[in-house]
Amino acid sequence: MPGLLTVYHPSGHDESSALVQFSSDSNTPIVYSLHHGLKSPIAPRLSISWSRGNSLRVSVFRSPETTETVLDEVEVGGKVVELKLSGEYVDSEINDAARWRRIAYGSVSPFAHLQNKKNAMAALSELRHSAPYDVDWSKYVLEYSKEINSLLGSRGSSPTSLIEDPKTVLENVEEPSSLKAAWELLEIFYADKQSQAWIPEQLVDWSAVMIVKVLPLFFSKTCNWRRGGEHLSVYDSSLQAVEDEPAYWQAISSALAVGWLDIVVKLLRLHGSYQLNQLGNRETENGLVEAVAVLISKMPRMRAHLPDGKLGECYYNKSDFIKAWEKWRAQITKLDCSAFWLQCSHNHTRENLKLLLQIMLGNTGTLSSATFHWVELYIAHFLYISPFTSGLESMHALAQKCMQLKPTSSPHKLMRLIIGILGENTEVVLAECSRSFGSWMIAHATELLTAGSIQAEILLKEERHNLGGVSIEESHRLVYAQVLSSHALTWQIAPIYLISCVKHGVGLLEILLYKQPVYHSQVLLKNIEICRLYDLDSVSANAMKIAGVHHWKHGRNGAGVFWLQQAGDEVRLNRIAQKLFDFVGKSISDESFEQWEGLIELLGSESRTAAGLEFLHKYRDFKKSLQQVQDGILTDAARKAGEALILLMKNPSTPQRFWLPLLYDSNSNPKGRRIEEVLNHFCDLQLKLLNWQGRPLLNVSQTNLLLNKLQELSVARLRPDFVEVGMPAGALSSVRVALATNLGRAILEE
Amino acid sequence: MATETLKQFHRLPQSTYVDALRFLPPLSAFDRYVVVASFNSDSDETSIEIHALNPSTPPILTLQSSFTLSSRISSLKVAQKSLQNPLIAASTFAGSLHVLFPNPIDVSFESEVSIPEKTLHLGPITCLDLQENGSACVSVGEDGRVNLISVGDSGLDYRRIFDSKGLVSYTASRWASPTEFATGGLGNSLQWWDQRRPGGPVSQFKGNWSQGAASGVVHSIDIHPSRKHTCLAGGSYGTVFAWDLRRPQQPIVLSGIDAGEPMSSSSISESEVWEVQYDTFMSASNRANISSERVLPVMICSEDGILAVIKQGCHLQS
Repeated sequence: MPGLLTVYHPSGHDESSALVQFSSDSNTPIVYSLHHGLKSPIAPRLSISWSRGNSLRVSVFRSPETTETVLDEVEVGGKVVELKLSGEYVDSEINDAARWRRIAYGSVSPFAHLQNKKNAMAALSELRHSAPYDVDWSKYVLEYSKEINSLLGSRGSSPTSLIEDPKTVLENVEEPSSLKAAWELLEIFYADKQSQAWIPEQLVDWSAVMIVKVLPLFFSKTCNWRRGGEHLSVYDSSLQAVEDEPAYWQAISSALAVGWLDIVVKLLRLHGSYQLNQLGNRETENGLVEAVAVLISKMPRMRAHLPDGKLGECYYNKSDFIKAWEKWRAQITKLDCSAFWLQCSHNHTRENLKLLLQIMLGNTGTLSSATFHWVELYIAHFLYISPFTSGLESMHALAQKCMQLKPTSSPHKLMRLIIGILGENTEVVLAECSRSFGSWMIAHATELLTAGSIQAEILLKEERHNLGGVSIEESHRLVYAQVLSSHALTWQIAPIYLISCVKHGVGLLEILLYKQPVYHSQVLLKNIEICRLYDLDSVSANAMKIAGVHHWKHGRNGAGVFWLQQAGDEVRLNRIAQKLFDFVGKSISDESFEQWEGLIELLGSESRTAAGLEFLHKYRDFKKSLQQVQDGILTDAARKAGEALILLMKNPSTPQRFWLPLLYDSNSNPKGRRIEEVLNHFCDLQLKLLNWQGRPLLNVSQTNLLLNKLQELSVARLRPDFVEVGMPAGALSSVRVALATNLGRAILEE
Repeated sequence: MATETLKQFHRLPQSTYVDALRFLPPLSAFDRYVVVASFNSDSDETSIEIHALNPSTPPILTLQSSFTLSSRISSLKVAQKSLQNPLIAASTFAGSLHVLFPNPIDVSFESEVSIPEKTLHLGPITCLDLQENGSACVSVGEDGRVNLISVGDSGLDYRRIFDSKGLVSYTASRWASPTEFATGGLGNSLQWWDQRRPGGPVSQFKGNWSQGAASGVVHSIDIHPSRKHTCLAGGSYGTVFAWDLRRPQQPIVLSGIDAGEPMSSSSISESEVWEVQYDTFMSASNRANISSERVLPVMICSEDGILAVIKQGCHLQS
């Protein structure tokens, strides 16, 4: 029935080789509205650029004329708006972004774990000059594979029969994705080295789930019959014989062909001859049905164990299995030739039971008619004709044969993957993984492909010129990391993949980190943490600088200085300190003095930048006591102020190093300037200090010191390159008069 | 140092970003509700949602009601006036503050009062804390303002307690008593405030941290109702420490970088500790056994996904 073999396309874009699926369905333009919040009229100036993910960054500028006229402070020159375009990253099957993120996050820890193991083993083998332990490694890979597999959804129970409720033959299990099916395939063939001998049986298990769930159309008959769950119950209730329905027998033979033994047995026991009122006259018929059912349930299977509820007898050992297999077939043949068939009056039953026996005996024709898709036939071959098939070559040949018998027009992606695996063609497997299952799959599957296969390892790890010097493995990881970085919720796991890329990983990681909006403190902290994990000190320092400057510009001076200090940004801290010097000599309000003082406090805690700050600290003390003087005439405070002034003046650690860049252009005497500024500052109030009411605050030597400094300054003033600061014209002379008066009084006092 | 690992926990994956979550005070013996501040990055939608917690295995969250806000939530607190309806306070990164009153019967949102952005703080509100009885709320921000918001029947009233004009940025706050509260900020600093002594913090802790710890940021503070003299703080680099007001210069480091010896072994996490809380499940008699000199057991959660209970000297983690 080739007409039925339409390929199931989950998304309809199966053939596209695009990295990220792009839907071209919508031809109608979508209108987005911008909420820029600017008052009209808005100048027609826009700048549009890509932001992260599918966000557009639109900068709306006001025209210069309007900015001049509008003096409202809130109305700035324009506004930057981010516009999120709809359409999410859609992996070929994971349409639900949340589910995709769960998989992305869940796979991080197994992946990182495996990378750690790999690095540790590499280090160990280097130490011992020997190859890594293959056995250990394949164990780790299997662990990894199992963890990822469990992440992709539970396998559910493959179709199980429920004894309690005869109407439900197939349980509704969680729909496994073809992504999971693909992963399981890779696991069977590449990761699970221990069970290589049982690949046929594993494929039987694999197909049991996948045929029903992923490829529902293939198994059309069973599906029909499944849908008719009520169908069966109708037969039951109306006491109509199920065995008269061809669909019943078709379902049984189809199920038997793919090895769903439990279902077959359960269905057989729905046979009309089991009805209590029928037992008397259909004894032989019932006996035959039961005999077939028993034979089916005793089928020898070459595998370690069967899950609960599955039928068959397991044989671990090949020779044991062959014995049991021969015996079983002999029993079937014996039953086939039994004389009881002649006594069976029910035609349908007789013929169809015989057909079942033929299936079990491996009659190619019967098998072929009981199956619809080549995979089903393939599975039937493993079960009933050649259970010992081993080696990819013979399996591939068998697959080719089955495909010839049951050709398909356009193979499903899982089928293409199987063919690739069987054909031992790593390139095809890679291409299939990447085009059908997306970047997540390929980034994680390479670990399976390389496990134990030297050719695959060479293919994947060889550096290639056409890929910019990176290996195929690395390029796939980079692509996946790029996909992760494009979303605000997943960018933080991208570093784990980037860091496993030897060539370009670190560079791209730095770019990724630089792109993060670090002025959000949480992003900054995450950024710093990532940098700490991967020893990217310079990147985190830059992030802290950006954050520091951002805070500073927005008036959060404390946070600004804090982050600049964390970043060790001497240049900007010095610049801030220089700004503080601008206050020296200016009369400032209480409020801004508090700010100024607070900043000195903030900067002062760091000794590295404090070179010029010593002066500022002393100046601050002086200024403080001066303010106290201002508040009320307190002799104590005044004395303190005087002492602070002398300290300032005496201090040889005038911040020449600090002042030099400031005065570089003018090349004037830094000392002179400082004194001048200080003195200038004292002009009004300070004169009082110098010439204190009551008794002089400064003694003779102190006054002399100040006079000397004053003299130095007036000499400096004569030089042509001296830069005059804004001072009252008579400032110098009034200071001199005050000092002279004080000197006189001090002499008298002494 | 003994570390045991707990096995019994459940993950409840959500499709949106969960910025914060709290238990709602139990409304009846059977219902347990969780308040979730959720952010959907695809639609840029922020909402406060109330979920019913079904304690099956695994537990199931069922959305009961939701309230949409305009900006992402930076801090979420829940309180209950004695025998009255609970109230939920949330602050946003845009700087607005919202107080919601869920209906105690069907937990739908009956009413909301709010203070718009740019009123309380310039920029984001980094943290808010509700008093136990829900009558007042303290909000702090990076702009260095400390605001007191009183929640009355007529609405919200606010008063600025302090404004450092950006010199100090606050990142955490916590009530200690009806008049006292603590705040935390950059450089692992803590401040103690008393409304009876206005004008600035009553006591400050800067600590003589080694280089590493001084660069930390306090994210969360807790104060035990029976030991108000001790302030528990958690912040960057897995730092968890207690600040005893009676010995204000000597922090008791429970985890993270030790003062003096950097990167000591006592750190369970090197990541941001987002929340610290005293272990409230401990019975009073057990608590009495711990001398008042020792810090009570502390629960923490951190950025790298560690949930742990730390006792002074040892810890238990999961």
